[in-house]
Amino acid sequence: MSHRQEPWYITILDRIRSSRRIKVSLIVFLPFIYLIIFFFAPFIIALMYSLGMFKQVVYEFVFQPQISLEYYYRLFQYPGVLVAIQRSFYYAILTTVGTFLLSYPVAYYLGVKLPDKYQEMVVLVLFTPFWVNFLLRIYGMRFIFHELGFLNMILTTLGIVNEPIKILGTDTAVILVMIYTYVILMILPIYGVLEKLDKELLEAAATLGASPVKTFLKVTLPLSLPGILAGSLLVFIPAVGEFVIPELVGGANTVTLGTVIYNFFLRVKGTMGWGLGSAAGLIYIGLILVLSYLYIKLVGGEIRLG
Amino acid sequence: MKITDLILKIYTVLFLAGIYLPIAILIFFSFNESRSKIVFTGFTLENYYSLLSNYAVWDSFYNSIWTAIVVTVVSVFLGIMISYGVTRYEFKGKNMLDILMLIPIIIPEIVEALTLLVFLIILGIRLSPYTVIIGHIAFDISFAYIVIKARMAGYDPQFEEAARTLGANEIQTFTKVTLPILMPGIVSAALIAFLQSYDDFIKTFFTRPPGFTTLPVYIWNMASRRGFALDLNALATFIVVISIVFAYVRLKVERW
Repeated sequence: MSHRQEPWYITILDRIRSSRRIKVSLIVFLPFIYLIIFFFAPFIIALMYSLGMFKQVVYEFVFQPQISLEYYYRLFQYPGVLVAIQRSFYYAILTTVGTFLLSYPVAYYLGVKLPDKYQEMVVLVLFTPFWVNFLLRIYGMRFIFHELGFLNMILTTLGIVNEPIKILGTDTAVILVMIYTYVILMILPIYGVLEKLDKELLEAAATLGASPVKTFLKVTLPLSLPGILAGSLLVFIPAVGEFVIPELVGGANTVTLGTVIYNFFLRVKGTMGWGLGSAAGLIYIGLILVLSYLYIKLVGGEIRLG
Repeated sequence: MKITDLILKIYTVLFLAGIYLPIAILIFFSFNESRSKIVFTGFTLENYYSLLSNYAVWDSFYNSIWTAIVVTVVSVFLGIMISYGVTRYEFKGKNMLDILMLIPIIIPEIVEALTLLVFLIILGIRLSPYTVIIGHIAFDISFAYIVIKARMAGYDPQFEEAARTLGANEIQTFTKVTLPILMPGIVSAALIAFLQSYDDFIKTFFTRPPGFTTLPVYIWNMASRRGFALDLNALATFIVVISIVFAYVRLKVERW
């Protein structure tokens, strides 16, 4: 019986089947290449672009081995950019604090007080509105904040104000809508932590004579800290770069970092617009990296989503 | 103690009412006569008729759906592969990979969108519906990965071992044992991936060619003009109904 030569593709298939390494590469790294090309590489390219490493020659971009901080320098010289960055922080901080204050009692009630049999239903009720496109929800807020809208109707009827107040176009409108949009991202992680909290601990504290206030301050609040930190990060990071809300309910005085990026890319355009926009985007990324690093140092774990 | 519980309960109910308020108001005004817009003057179905005959809305709805389907199929397929590899094999750099897979979810979309746009510009790739799809897949792979991995890590690999012992090869084991067990996770991942893509505004807005409009882009175009467009309110009613169906289906899938 002579040895039969296997066709080449069978040999290759056998190699693949027998080699763990090739198998893992095919199953894991082949799809991961997609992310390398269309997610991670663009970051590198944008970084290089913002450092002046590409030069436009007619319709093509040519790599040039140099590093220049020109775009960054010009970005900060650009009228209004510094103020916009400061304003973004101001909005993001107030949004984070506001979502926390508004949502903690809700997360506490749902996680600690509400009987288990209602949990699922209430969580569904809580979530459903956030499945509606956020642009529509923001547009809906306009009906509430308008001078002839719902809020002014209530305020004037109750006699709190004599004349309708102007809310649309102001900082107040932007911050309130940001709180409304981001509140779910704060509730989720806090609820997640409180729901898993061992209720016997609370009973133990009470049995040992701690008052409800003391139990809350000494047991519940410290134990919910990881949730609060995760929620703050989940709210703060996107809030700094928000551009939809200032555009839809803000005005000329609510320009933010996100608006700046949006304007450079979609209004100014051209090599200068893209360069300045990339620089602004990379400053934002740098900030996120620093914050995430601090978060990991503080909590030492991964972000919990509930 | 009892009184604080009651206050908490009332607060929670008010809070829930509050998050529904903008949506309720949108739907309420969809029945308003369109001349006055912000002040309710009389009941009409006019806005619904004008929505039905609005070609631009249905065109953008169609674009949202077909792109989201392509995105979902590709990203769930790739998500299954990566999560299968990560939960079933040991290899160098596995923890690193797991962290890298989370990054597309954590990075704010505006940054993802601008870096992808710069990338496309530098490479001279012309914007098309496919550049939008490429961008959506990049964040949807991560969502699919996380959901499917959770399901895959949650069941006993003994089923697979049993199948192998009984003589099934690896591919047979995967299609006859692993895949059916994973099905609820896959459906759940597909729903999330679909919704993320269908609802996406920022990345679409940066990477779309001129004239290509998805539903969120259409909403933006209407809403970023300063006034009120009551067609949009009628559209909101339609979208709210779809969203409730989605939320309900997702709940059913999770209980599966």
